[in-house]
This record gives sequence, C-alpha cells and structure tokens, in this order.
Amino acid sequence: MKKTLLSIVMIVLALLVLLPVLWTLSTSMKPLSEVNQYPPQWTSSAMSLKPYVDMFFYLPFLTYTLNSLIVACSSTVLTLLFGSLAAFAFSRFTFPGKQVFLLIFLLSQMLPGASVIIPLFQLLQKAELYDTYWGLILVHTAVLLPFVIWLLYGFFQTIPREIEDAALIDGCSRMMALRKIILPLALPGIGATALFSFLGSWNEFFFALILTSSDSTRTIPVGIGLFVGEYLDVWNQMAAAAILFSIPPLILFTLTRKTFIKGLVAGASK
Amino acid sequence: MKKATPYLLLVPALLFTVFVLVYPLVQNLINSFSDVSMITGRSGWTGFSNYKHVFHDTLFWRSFGNTSVYAVVGTVVALILGLGFALLLNLKLGKITTVMGCLYTVPWIISPVVAGFAWKWLLNDHFGVVNYWLASAGIVKAGTTWLGNPGTALICVMLARIWQFYPFAMVMFLAGLQSIPQEQYEAAAVDGATMVRRFFHITLPNLKTVTSVMLVLGVIWSFNDFNMVFVMTRGGPMNSSMVLPVLVREFSFVQFDLGKGSALSVVIFALLTTLSYLYLKVLARGEST
Repeated sequence: MKKTLLSIVMIVLALLVLLPVLWTLSTSMKPLSEVNQYPPQWTSSAMSLKPYVDMFFYLPFLTYTLNSLIVACSSTVLTLLFGSLAAFAFSRFTFPGKQVFLLIFLLSQMLPGASVIIPLFQLLQKAELYDTYWGLILVHTAVLLPFVIWLLYGFFQTIPREIEDAALIDGCSRMMALRKIILPLALPGIGATALFSFLGSWNEFFFALILTSSDSTRTIPVGIGLFVGEYLDVWNQMAAAAILFSIPPLILFTLTRKTFIKGLVAGASK
Repeated sequence: MKKATPYLLLVPALLFTVFVLVYPLVQNLINSFSDVSMITGRSGWTGFSNYKHVFHDTLFWRSFGNTSVYAVVGTVVALILGLGFALLLNLKLGKITTVMGCLYTVPWIISPVVAGFAWKWLLNDHFGVVNYWLASAGIVKAGTTWLGNPGTALICVMLARIWQFYPFAMVMFLAGLQSIPQEQYEAAAVDGATMVRRFFHITLPNLKTVTSVMLVLGVIWSFNDFNMVFVMTRGGPMNSSMVLPVLVREFSFVQFDLGKGSALSVVIFALLTTLSYLYLKVLARGEST
C-alpha cells in the first residue's frame, strides 16, 4: 500500500518535472493553426511529424545541423588527440613543474567565458578566423581540453604499469607503449571522454553565439537561442528543432549513465 | 632528449590553454585600461575611466544584485529540491526507482538553450499551458505576461535554472546518501530514534561535505550562467532580469564599448576568483575531516 502510494507520487513528480519537455513535444507535432489556439490543447487529430521536415526547408536548420556536427566532431578529435598526449605525460612521467601544470589545467576549468570572450573575439578577427568553423573548433577544443585531460589522466592511472614495463624491456618505445598498450586498454574511458567532449561542443552556446555571425557557420543552439521570439509564428518548427537537437545528448547519456555519474561524483569531490 | 619528452607531450595542450586562458586574461586587463574600438582596436591608455564607467552605471549594480539573487537563491532552492528527490530515490522501490531516476535527470541532460526555449514557450502569455491552467483555476487573468513583466521575469528565469540544476544536486546527494554507513541507522533504530531524529542527526551531518561543495560550485556556475537569461529574456524587460555575463555582451557587442566590456569582465573574473578560492577551501576542509 505504502509502495503504491509512493510510486504514484513519483510518477506525478515525473510528469511535473517533464512538463516543459512534454509541452514542447506536443507543440512540435501540431500544425501552426493549432499552435496559436486558445485554449491550448495537448493533443489533436491533426498531429504529424510535418514540422520536423519543414524546419529543414523553411528555417536554416539543415545548415545548422551540418555545422554542429562538423564543429563537435572536429573538437572531439582534437581534444582526444592533445588530451591523451598530456594525460600520458602526467600519468607516466615524473618531471619538475608537474604539479604546477596540473594546477593550471584544473584552474582553467573554472574560467568564466565572459572574462575571455572579448580578447578571443579580437584574436579571431585578426587571424581571420572569426565566423569560421576553425575559429569555433579551436575555441571549443581549448575550452574542453582541461576537463578531458583530467578524465583521461584518471583512466590512464587505472592501467597497471607492469604490462608497459614489460613492453619497454622488450625494446618497445614510450610512444609505441602509448599507442599499443595504454590507448587500447583505456578504450572504454576514452569512449566516455569522447562522448563528454562531443556533448560539450554540441551544447555550447556562449562562444558559438558571439564568435559566429552568419547562417553558414551558426550551430543549432545558436539557431534556437537567437531566433526564439524572432520567428514567432513558427513555434512548432522551433519546438521540433529543440526536440531533435536534444535526442543525441539523451541517447548518449542513457548509454553511458553509469560511467558518467561515477566519474562526475569522483571528479567533484576530489 | 629523454627529459624533454613529458614537456613535448604537454606542448599542444599548453598552447591551447595559453590561447584561451593566459593571452585573453592579459589582453583583457590591458583592454580594461584602454580606449578600444571595435574597428580600429586599441588606441591608448585611459587609466581607470572604463572602471569608473562600469561602477557609475546603475545597470551594473542592478545586474550585480540580480546575478547574486539568481546564483544564491537559485542554488539553495535547487539543492533543497535535489535532496528531496534523492531521499525519494533512496527508498529503493525497485525498477520504478531506476526509471524515475532517469526521468528526473532529463532537465539536466538537455541543452540549456532547449531548456530556455521550452520554459519560454510553456510560460507564453497567450498559448502557454501554464497560463491557461492558472487562468482556469481563477488564480490569474488570462493572458498574464510572465517573462514580459519586470516584476516576474527574473523569478521565471530562476525557476527554469532551478529546474535545470536540481538533477545535478540529486545525483550527488544520492551518491552521498548511499555512502552513509548502514550501521549508524541500525544503532539509532535500536535506541528507538524516530525517522525525523535519524534524518537530522545522521543523514544531514553525513551530507555536510557534499552540500558545501555543491553550494559553492552551484553559485559559481550560476554566477557564470549566460544561456538561460539570454534565451528567455535577453535581460529584459527594461533590464529587470539583466545579469553580469549578459551585460558583458551588451556593453561589448551591442553598445560596441569593448573597453567598458573588458573592465566588467575583469570585475567578474575577480569575483569568481574569490568564489573559486572559497571552493578550494571547502574541498580542503572536506578532505581533512
């Protein structure tokens, strides 16, 4: 009896929590005439997936999606490449200044975007990288790198050194040991880190908003965030874009929930 | 050569950090004491005049107040909510707990921009479902504006922010709850302690460290938060929901006063450095106890 009651409470709470999402989902499938209707209806017989198709043709979401994919994938590759080199140095070498370097990476995670945006904007303009893929990719890579290094460092530390030592004795070089032994063994950790990196760039709004200015480079969050209220009459297509945009994060999170939460709890308390 | 290897491995990552951290911070400091134009760049020193402009601007003080309320009140409410949800999930009712745990986390997984959009549409004065319900129940008049009203805009944005942040607190509290030694509860049960007493004398003291860590982290993150305010209100109406990160954009890229924007950035950086220092202190205290 008590269990049934508690279950009901939990379900009601879930509905309350998901209210904004459910309302967006409902809107995303309604024809425009029913979106702008009072009193609002949750469901209607005219519901369809048409807004999901329309937004790619009437709003520039096809380009935005492509841009988001290019930027997020490139940033992920770059952060993993440079991040694993740095994490390898931290976990397998002792050298003067190691603690200082670790501290620099720890502190740069706390950096407020607002206090670096103006010089970055000027720098990208000077380098003719403002409003280009490369400009945004470089900034996203730089912003995500510190946390990626910390994650990879943690994963590399869990790999026993004995295997590597044996390989080194057999005449394997340090870089070969990284490529042939550490990277394959750390693969699950690297996968989780890649997901984090991808999502970090995929969801990033502030830098993407200020460092781009044309539709040919804008990412999806900029498209959604900038045009809310501008194309007031197409709330259903905007809602469809918002829902579609949320699917990759939700899938990726469901897949890596356990690793992700474990890492997060450890990261924030250590 | 051998000695240089670790440094060589660090070079690419360090270059990026210099590019996004060291160079901008230094350049920002220089900008804040200079006359900077969007087109021609820096054209000479101006002393503290940019800072004077910032501190004499009533909008700065208003945004500072708004940001503080947004960060502190928002975080405290989110933590209380998160604790409530964590306690509920910790009852471990089987499969339903796992499913509900996932659903309760959704607001935190989706992008802040999507969250802002969803709330803006939910609170829409004419076609939003919240207004319809409240009007049907006779609580407000139909067509009440929430985000367009200077009296309620900041509260609404804060509500959305709380909605997005509480799952993080929930996940962390749940981990905290599950690490409390069961013996403590058993001993208390033997002594005949009531549920309320057990909560205040065992549960809460055990969650002290995790609470203080999240309080500081939450305040830092919310203090930095640009997305929710920008998407929902852009700081309006009449700057009633303006916060500092949005104000930097306003000064720099709307009023095109990069010097004033830089001075404000330096002020934000100083405030956040203080908060981060506090965070490290809290962490250090947590480790020593």
